[in-house]
Amino acid sequence: MTTMLKAEGLTKQFVLHNQNSVTLPVFAEVSFSVDQGEAVILHGQSGVGKSTLLRILYGNYRPTKGHVHVRHGDAFIDIVTATPRRVLEARRKSIGFVSQFLRVIPRVKAIDIVKDPMLARGVADDEATRRASDMLARLNLPERLWNLAPSTFSGGEQQRVNIARSFVDPSPILLLDEPTASLDAANRDVVVDLIAEARQNGSAIIGIFHDEAVRDRVATRRLDLTAYKAAA
Amino acid sequence: MLNSSIDHLKDPEPILIANKVTKHYGERIGCEDVSFSLWPGEVLGIVGESGSGKSTLLRCLAGIDRPTSGEILFRHNDKPISLFDIPEPTRRKLMRTEWGIVHQNPRDGLRMDVSAGGNVGERLMDRGDRHYGKIRASALDWLTRVEISEDRIDDRPRQFSGGMQQRLQIARVLVPEPRLVFMDEPTGGLDVSVQARLLDLLRVLVRDLGIAAVIVTHDLAVARLLTDRLMVMKGGYVVEEGLTDQVLDDPHHAYTQLLTSAVLAA
Repeated sequence: MTTMLKAEGLTKQFVLHNQNSVTLPVFAEVSFSVDQGEAVILHGQSGVGKSTLLRILYGNYRPTKGHVHVRHGDAFIDIVTATPRRVLEARRKSIGFVSQFLRVIPRVKAIDIVKDPMLARGVADDEATRRASDMLARLNLPERLWNLAPSTFSGGEQQRVNIARSFVDPSPILLLDEPTASLDAANRDVVVDLIAEARQNGSAIIGIFHDEAVRDRVATRRLDLTAYKAAA
Repeated sequence: MLNSSIDHLKDPEPILIANKVTKHYGERIGCEDVSFSLWPGEVLGIVGESGSGKSTLLRCLAGIDRPTSGEILFRHNDKPISLFDIPEPTRRKLMRTEWGIVHQNPRDGLRMDVSAGGNVGERLMDRGDRHYGKIRASALDWLTRVEISEDRIDDRPRQFSGGMQQRLQIARVLVPEPRLVFMDEPTGGLDVSVQARLLDLLRVLVRDLGIAAVIVTHDLAVARLLTDRLMVMKGGYVVEEGLTDQVLDDPHHAYTQLLTSAVLAA
């Protein structure tokens, strides 16, 4: 199998300099690798560091120790030591992060938010429009909203715009932080199908899901972080 | 076997290199020992509170103030040239044609007695354009892009609101299609609604034109929306740098932690 991501000895502690320099250890020496077509679900109680790990894999948080090798074409980029421009390039082509929250950009229309990553990858504008429309329809977002900026949308509507953006042209590695939280059953089913399709098309998936039923339908493997809990 | 070789990804050359840039005002430190490289299409943010040295650094980078020591290299005709080792007229010509500066106060960047169309068209004449019809058409195109309506083209900037003046300044800076743009607090002093319009405009222009930009701001939300990379300055020194989302979401330096935790969530 093709390895898509390999985490090596990841250790994280937060140091809060303005609060008596208190050190908060999260986890230590986490190592694993994920192959193409796998869906690894991060497991463990609240506070065990699931979201922190996911953010480290994306390069959003910096680990105290360790490396994250991400497949980028036929080579690997170490997200921890790569230059910012390399990390941005990996994010554009190889690794995506999906949360339940949409970062709203003032005045940008919903459909343009969904098209944006495709355009950045060189997809033609009319094809991007067609695929974005199909995806928004599939996620049951009313067509009258497509040409409006989502700042006035409900939380669930914003969330579906975000999911459409992430799954319309899924990255080879997808990091999912509770993408189905607070969706109704019908839309949750659509997202579960989208994840399965991305996986079947060769994406590697690493995710956090609190909903047990969703977790069982999505996962091919579990990674329990409890064993890596750092001593406080 | 995993190796982190990324040799097949060839880097283009940086458009701007700062090498140990230091500026002192007598005994006082303006900025100290600042080094970085900036690539085409990249947007670098410099954040810090008043007096942190961010505007001093910007003035050195933009060729306005000579640094006390260190050098600034700008890539011109495929060769790096040292900005303060070339004759003054050559540097001024580069400043007019190859890069642009958006000032915090639009009155510093505009000619207040010249019409809006003239403010934009003048930059095209600097570049060598001579055909009046073409210059006017291009000026009009740019005024539309910054959302200034056609019927204001002959008005003078002092008849404009602050937000319109700032948009006009941006058109004036971007019309010659510079390769590098410096911005000092581009949304400072504007209403929040006007800021949002301007930010989106800047974001789209920078992306569509592929220009490199250095943006000085004390507003972390502006930095998050517009920049790829961030340098945090305090007392003239760069105390932390990295990807913008990394620096803002997982700040390591005490001062950056203070800055990010001091923001009131809207």
